[in-house]
Amino acid sequence: MTIYNTIEYVDKVYISFILAITLVIQINQQKEKQKIGMLLISLLVIFILGATLFSGCVQQQGQQGQSIVLIGRDSTSGTREFFWTFVMGKANFSASLLEKNSNGAVQQTIAQTPSAIGYVGLGYVDSTVKALTINNITANVQNVLAGAYPISRDLYMFTKGNSTGAAKEFILFMQSIEGQAIVTQEGFVPLQNTVHYNVSGKTLSGTLTVSGSTTVLPITDKVATAFKALNPGLMITVTGGGSGAGISAVSQGTVDIGMSSRDLQSSESNLGLVKHVIAKDGIVIIVNPSNNYVNNLSLAQLKAIYKGEITNWKDLSK
Amino acid sequence: MVMKIRLPQKSILTKKFIKEKGMKIILFLSAISAIIIIFSIIIFLFRDAYPIFQRIGLGPFLTGMRWNPVGQPPLYGAFPLIIATLLVTLGAMVIAIPLSIGSAIFISEIATPRVKIIIKPAVELLAGIPSVVFGFFGLIVLTTWIRISFNVPTGETWLAGSILLGIMAIPTITSVAEDAISSVPREYKEGSLAVGASRWQTISKIIVPSAMSGITAAIILGIGRAIGETMAVMMVCGNPAYGLIPQPITNVFAPIKTLTATLGIEMGEVATGSNHYYALFGLALILLIITLIVNILATVILGRLKEKQRKSKKKKPVISYEFGRKIKQTFYLLIGTIVIAILFITVGLLPTIGIITLIVVIYYLLRKISVKVQQRLAFSAITATIIIVIIFLGIILAYIVTNGVGALSWDFITTGPTNLGRSGGIFPAIIGTLYLVAGAIAIALPLGVGAAVYLHEYTKEGIITKIIRTGADLLNGTPSIVFGLFGFAFFVLYLKLGFSLLAGQITLAFMILPTIIRTTEEALKCVPQSLREGSYALGASKWQTIQKVVLPPAAPGILTGAILGIGRAAGETAPILFTAVVFSDFISSSVLQPVNALPYHLFTLATSIPGSQQNQAGTALVLLLLVIGIYFIAILLRNQFRKKMKW
Repeated sequence: MTIYNTIEYVDKVYISFILAITLVIQINQQKEKQKIGMLLISLLVIFILGATLFSGCVQQQGQQGQSIVLIGRDSTSGTREFFWTFVMGKANFSASLLEKNSNGAVQQTIAQTPSAIGYVGLGYVDSTVKALTINNITANVQNVLAGAYPISRDLYMFTKGNSTGAAKEFILFMQSIEGQAIVTQEGFVPLQNTVHYNVSGKTLSGTLTVSGSTTVLPITDKVATAFKALNPGLMITVTGGGSGAGISAVSQGTVDIGMSSRDLQSSESNLGLVKHVIAKDGIVIIVNPSNNYVNNLSLAQLKAIYKGEITNWKDLSK
Repeated sequence: MVMKIRLPQKSILTKKFIKEKGMKIILFLSAISAIIIIFSIIIFLFRDAYPIFQRIGLGPFLTGMRWNPVGQPPLYGAFPLIIATLLVTLGAMVIAIPLSIGSAIFISEIATPRVKIIIKPAVELLAGIPSVVFGFFGLIVLTTWIRISFNVPTGETWLAGSILLGIMAIPTITSVAEDAISSVPREYKEGSLAVGASRWQTISKIIVPSAMSGITAAIILGIGRAIGETMAVMMVCGNPAYGLIPQPITNVFAPIKTLTATLGIEMGEVATGSNHYYALFGLALILLIITLIVNILATVILGRLKEKQRKSKKKKPVISYEFGRKIKQTFYLLIGTIVIAILFITVGLLPTIGIITLIVVIYYLLRKISVKVQQRLAFSAITATIIIVIIFLGIILAYIVTNGVGALSWDFITTGPTNLGRSGGIFPAIIGTLYLVAGAIAIALPLGVGAAVYLHEYTKEGIITKIIRTGADLLNGTPSIVFGLFGFAFFVLYLKLGFSLLAGQITLAFMILPTIIRTTEEALKCVPQSLREGSYALGASKWQTIQKVVLPPAAPGILTGAILGIGRAAGETAPILFTAVVFSDFISSSVLQPVNALPYHLFTLATSIPGSQQNQAGTALVLLLLVIGIYFIAILLRNQFRKKMKW
């Protein structure tokens, strides 16, 4: 604890000072003023001591460099499962990993926290965060498609048994060039070798319900709007709720299609669901724009960071 | 002749009798609905939590030190999550208790009527801010402030959660504590002033001690509210993997993972029927049990208070005065020792001695200051608390308004979203929210009014009313995320309603039912007994009296309750998250279809649609205006109602 820090704290309690001054001014008698003055001084000393106590915790973080704030996704997220399998080799994450329940929350946190690192889908990279290259390869659609960028995963739709009727047509549309154009637009990686959607003579009618992953929701929602334009008589509802909710809903028959950002888990494997890959998602490692320590990481470094073996940015910028 | 006259009379009587009986049964059924609901929630949570207790055992589940359901091997230890929940709540209370009790004293004892009429609704408005809006404010403003001010790597900490929860608990504690302080008999106060005590002496030595049990109950209710809060805590506490307990345990700058946050984060993606799914229901059950205990405690304390007020006769105390004093002394000594021990361990010997000396010095200085100055000091401190509360409110409102006002336009309110809500308006979300609250109120209002009428008009105070009231109180304290889980397990999966408007409406109706029961009962209490007696004297039956004489003057009060319910239903995210909501340009045409809603629209924009910042802020502002507008109408109605209530 340096004196400098203490002074910094005192500086920050100006509100208490203002309050204290108003208190003293309120009192007319000279004698009382002295006593109150003493009282306030002692209160202030207590405050400073309290601040010292607080900063004691802060001190341990170390003065040089910045300790890394690890941001990741929640344990049920498909992104995390993929990251855990592919990058971590199923080793445990560091216990200091902070869990967020969406890509948006990860991006928001990293945009605000100078020393944070996290992983999000390609669509979430904007000027508020800095994307790192992995093994000197930039994360973008071309590199993922070419197989050069190492971290990408599939997004799925599930149907109960083989898809039929409107569900089949919808998935076909999604996997067609028209559908994949929207996938690209939303910042995801399109499938390869796709064909044009074959508009059959008669338009579809009735209802189609889709539910599940919030990651897949935006694409599906946009594709649904386009599909509705082709089939004005068809009523499509797309709900979120998460991959688990979507999979259980489709296996129970309450919806026609379940969206998922993860593959089926062992407890879901005997539900009689058929898997359709509808897009890919490139996973980008992002840091705060003010981070000057790194621009590139190797997969091994990334693993070490997320395992908690590298905890300070200065250890990376040699 | 005699027969001819009697027969029609008898038939009228029978008809009337049947109607009376029928109404009584209907009202009884609505009265016990609260209990049925709370029991079905417990049963359904237990049903889905049981497999995990069976598979890994209740002991290991409760005492396990790590929560890592997807690790190898999966670990289901709820202990750190329970501790984290308690720690965040503890921190929140350290912030909320002084501020709310200060505010309560200010509103009831110090403020002039003119100031009171502004301050009281302002504090109540704080209750009207939806928790998802609090979450956004916390995520963007509060965590950044903590990170910079205290120079910590991340602001998403225990402290952030505690500050936010503290602010959110303030209106609950303030309003109940203020009721308790206001209901201290006038004679106490007058007697104290008459023997020459100053106003501050009267407040600190007479009024606050007499209102102590009410204040305690207020604090406990505040604790219940803080424990059950989901969206805000989920956004600002950081949620470390495995939910580790802070090291050392006093480190308020450590990220922390609470029970509610774990549920809010993991529930959506988890595979139904997996161990993880059952474990989450286990967590919900633990959460429910904690809040039930807290709320039962509050009910018991408030009940004892009422009994005390009713019986003026003094019972002989169970423990003698001397013995009680000794217990008190030992208790204070114990607490003091613990505090000193904690200080000693965390900061070392010298600062501890320093702090103790200072406290002693301050104590003696305070005693030497004249009564008048003491009062000035105390009143300034109390005024400071209310100012701090108003500043909190001001900062939050200013933040949302300045950010959101740019997005606001006529088109924003009247058109549907385009490009996934990045542009265009939020019309479907507004309509969806209206559908949801309309349905919820259509279900909850008859049930709640029926229950209140039964409780107040048909039964004497006794074991049945006690059970029903406790049921309603428990339902009131049930965390919103628990309603969400129940709705998912019962309506969506068990009844196979799917994600639907109906499921959302019923879930929300259950949540606002206790508010309506309570406010209706208050309104009924205000109708003088003489009106009922007059009606009976004219030969009206019980139901006729209720229908024609009791309900009409109580209507504004009931309306206030309904509006408060609407306000709460409109702002809640957690109960509809897993039961009803859809994100898109979609207006439902049947109750079996899903629905869009403002809080969910905001939540989705912020979490899943990159590049939609402008419309996020706009949606938050519209949601805030809607909810606050509803509360404002309720407050105006209440004031109008109170003015008119001069019989």
